Order: sequence, then structure tokens, then C-alpha cells
Amino acid sequence: MAPVNDMDMLAHRPAAAQPAAAASVRQRIEVRDITKVFPLHGEDLVAVEKVSFSIREGEFVALLGPSGCGKSTILNMIAGLITITGGAAYLDGRSVAYGKVDPQVGYVFQRDTVFPWRTVRRNIGYGLELSRLAKAEREARVLEVIRQAGLKGFEDAYPLALSGGMRQRVALMRTLIMQPQILLMDEPFGALDTHTKLEMHKFLLEIWEHERQTVLFVTHDLSEALTLSDRIILLSARPGRLKEDFEVPFPRPRDAIRLRESREYSELFAKVWHSLGDEFAKTKAE
Amino acid sequence: MSKGTFINVCRFGLLLVLLAIWEWGWDLRKHVSWIVPTLLDPYFISKPSLIWTRFLEMGCFANTRGDWLINIDGTFMKCVYAGKGSLWTHTLATLKNTFWGFLVGVGSGIGVGMLLGRSEMLAKIFEPYIVAFNSLPRVALVPLIIIMFGLGDVSKIVTALTLVFFVVFFNTFEGTRGVDRDHINAARFLGANAWQVTWTIYVPSALAWVFASLTPAVSFALIGVIVGEFIGSERGLGKVIIEAEATLQTADMMVALFVLMVIGVVLVLGVREVQRRLLRWQRHHAETF
Repeated sequence: MAPVNDMDMLAHRPAAAQPAAAASVRQRIEVRDITKVFPLHGEDLVAVEKVSFSIREGEFVALLGPSGCGKSTILNMIAGLITITGGAAYLDGRSVAYGKVDPQVGYVFQRDTVFPWRTVRRNIGYGLELSRLAKAEREARVLEVIRQAGLKGFEDAYPLALSGGMRQRVALMRTLIMQPQILLMDEPFGALDTHTKLEMHKFLLEIWEHERQTVLFVTHDLSEALTLSDRIILLSARPGRLKEDFEVPFPRPRDAIRLRESREYSELFAKVWHSLGDEFAKTKAE
Repeated sequence: MSKGTFINVCRFGLLLVLLAIWEWGWDLRKHVSWIVPTLLDPYFISKPSLIWTRFLEMGCFANTRGDWLINIDGTFMKCVYAGKGSLWTHTLATLKNTFWGFLVGVGSGIGVGMLLGRSEMLAKIFEPYIVAFNSLPRVALVPLIIIMFGLGDVSKIVTALTLVFFVVFFNTFEGTRGVDRDHINAARFLGANAWQVTWTIYVPSALAWVFASLTPAVSFALIGVIVGEFIGSERGLGKVIIEAEATLQTADMMVALFVLMVIGVVLVLGVREVQRRLLRWQRHHAETF
């Protein structure tokens, strides 16, 4: 697969995209009229249609929508993992090219992508190992992160011996240890049970409220979006279009469990749920 | 008695019964001829006691009168290298050629498998040639290989290599193609360049597949060498077997067969041990054998 030249992609829609002008607030992630068309049985399936949004530095944004609405597709276009059919995506004002991975971006996958042939220690240390960091410093940082992730005692365990939650913590720490400024997360807790998921929310909140990376978090779980994010971008059912943009004004630091008992939470939940419900209904009607 | 002990006792008992039938079965013919098949004739299958005697002689442990040579200074070594060679020199020749055939076959199989596994284009170009060559029975190639490389070691190594290469190649190819795309992407987001992706993702992912092919590869290497020795050679266990056939010395043939069996078992166990160590992360390798 040859990387697609950015100009080729723009050629589809010459008027569509202009790089972000120097704005007063730094836009870390920006998408402009982004569109994705998949060929399916000789027909064109529009998965994402002209979606535009931008994310400020240090903002935690959840991309929410019913399944099949193209949330992950948008994320993967921003990450450069798939080609962009129309429009453009920018990371720090630089346009994204397919096949080019931005080193300051961390990506956490929906599927378990921990390397099964490496121990916990060597999974988390993978990126540092590649960067040729001195072994002593690497080991020290890895051990610190292992402690932080509550994986002490499992340093030399292989992933197959760990639970799903532990494996996802390894995957998360493997990314975070590289200190990416932008984090793209594709339903990272989608495969976990409710209890483990809550644990992971607490864990992620603790880290994020300290580090304040710019995060784009894809999910179909409204409570997850409300618990974690500053803003929820709601997509419509396929083809994915931008439907609504909700501010999530809950104060930080947040308590993942207590938050859910508050009145403000219930009110916002009901509001978004109503809007999301329409989209679920549409998905069902198809 | 535990289940394990019971199994071992049964195994040993079976061995004794089989050896006893082999040794004395033919003698029963005088009393109960109807129960003893002609196949038990020592002319066809020899006898454990005869085989043991021939083993001691061929291995230079004893001379034809039954005197031990080990004790006598220098006689053992003289016997090992005497004349057309002893069991030792034949075994060594077979082992050496098996080793090289295995090594070169595995090396080239992994190399080409990885290359074609990563390049769709190359895989498409080479596919018909590989399929065509692989469907050719390799034994049929041996006379040609001997014409090309002579009666010496090289022809045996090449024969083994043509067998080993394909087993390892196909497994490495499949293993490389089956590498998880998300593992590759994860590595790239963590800063891996193309070379690092190869070494840290492709190689370890494909390793399980490669290893699955190494046990049959060892056996194939041995088969290749023996077949090569059958068809034309100066030394080796295959030659011992073929000569024993020509002179109807079944005991000699049995000695060579047993040595081959031991070699086969030791090599396979060795490969499994390496596999167990390198694939520790796969839990089931601890349990299967």
C-alpha cells in the first residue's frame, strides 16, 4: 500500500480545505468537511459526510454516536490509518497524510493490542526501547509506570496471564509513557465489563487531570462520555454527520462514581440521551 | 500406583513382550507352527541378540570374537576410521549433512517466507513457480541432484534442503501474512520504523508458525539425506542400509535403523526444547509435548 499523496485527496474537492489560520487558541485537532466513502459491492457507501470540528489544546472530547455511524472511521482518518475521501484533517495545523504516523500522537486501540510475546515490563518499555533510551533510565520509568498502573508484581507476567482490564492498562501505559501530546482513543474500554470499565475511568481521569493531554475519545457509551469529557460531539446515524455539540461543565477533579449520583449529571444525561435516542431509532429502522 | 506410573509400566511391559516375540517367536514354530507367521523368520527381521552383537561390532565396541575393544589402547580409534568406515563415521556423515540441510533449508525458508509474506507483488510473481516445484516429488529429483553435485555431501545437503525449505517457507509465509495489523499500527504509533517493525513485530509474531514447521523440518532433513544416500553415496547410514539390503544382512540394517530412530527422536526433542523456551509466552506450550 503506497501512501496516498495529500494533494490527490484534496483534488477530489478543490474548494474544501484550507489549513487552520493562526487562531488565538491553539487548535490541536481539526477536521474540515471530512468525508469517507467505502466501496461496497460495487456501490459507494458513505460512512462519514462532511464532518467538521476542532479540539483545543488540553481538551478532552468524546466522539459519541450509535454503532456504525463512522466514529472510529473519523478517528482513523485523523490518525492517518485510512485514507481521507474528502475534506482534510489537521494535527497542530499540519495536514494528516495517510500512512504517516505522527510521533506526538498516541493511539489506543479498541482491540487488545498488547504484544503477547512481551512481558508487561517489556510491553510498557517498548517505545522507550525503540527510542534507544539508556537502559537504567528506561527501567526506572517503566517501573514507575507499572506502579502507577497498579501492576506491581506482574512485571514479568505475559499478557495471556492477565485479565482484560489489566491488559488494557498495559496498553494505555505503553502509550502514555511516551508522553504523547495528543491522544486518540478508539473505544478503549469497549470490551470491558461495567465494573472494570469504572475502574479504568477512575484511572484515566487521575492521569489525565494531571497531564492534560488533548484527547479525542470515541465511544458509544453516554455515561462514559459524560464521566470523562469536557465536550461531547454527537454524530448522527449513518452516514455520520455532526449532530450536536454538548459542553460537559462538571468540575474537575471528577469522581467517576460520585459524579453519576449528581443532579447535573442526570439532567445532561437526559438531554444527550434524547438526542442520541433519535439516532438509535434511525439505526434500528434501517 | 499413580496413572503416570501405570502408563510407564505398561509401556515397558509392551517393549519386553515385543522383544521376546522378536527373539524367541521363531523358535515356537517347532511346537505351534500354525500361530507363527513366516515374517518372524530371523532371515527377514533378524533377532535382538544378533542386532546387539552387530551393533557392538559395527560400533567398534567389540571385535568379531566378542572381545571388548574399548579397553585396548588405540584399537577403538583405529577401528572407527578403518576401511570403509564404521558405524561412527557413517552416523557422523548422516548427522552432518542433516544438520547443514536443516540449517540452510530453515534459513532460506524463513528468509524467502518473510520476504514474500510482506510483499504481495513478489508473492504473486513467484506463486506458480513455488507451487509447481513443490508438487514435484522431491525423491524424483535426487538422481538429477547427484548428477549436478556428485556423490559427496553436497548432493545430500541439497536434497534435504529442497524438502526442508518448502515446509518452513509455507509456514513463515502464512505466519508473516497473518501478523495482526493492529500490532503493526500500535508499534508505529510508539515510534517504530520499518526495520524495527520487522524485528519487533513480524519476527516474533511469525515465530510460532515458524516453529510449528521445525519439527517436521527436522524429519524431512533426515529423510532427504537418507534418500540421497540410498541413491548414490560414499558413506552414511543410508548407504549402510542399502549395502545390507544387497548382502541380505538384516542385522546390519536393523542397527542402522535403530541409530536413525535415536537420531530422529533426539533431534525432534531438541527442537521442541528450543521452541518451549522461545515461545514461553504461549501458555499451551508448557503443557503440550
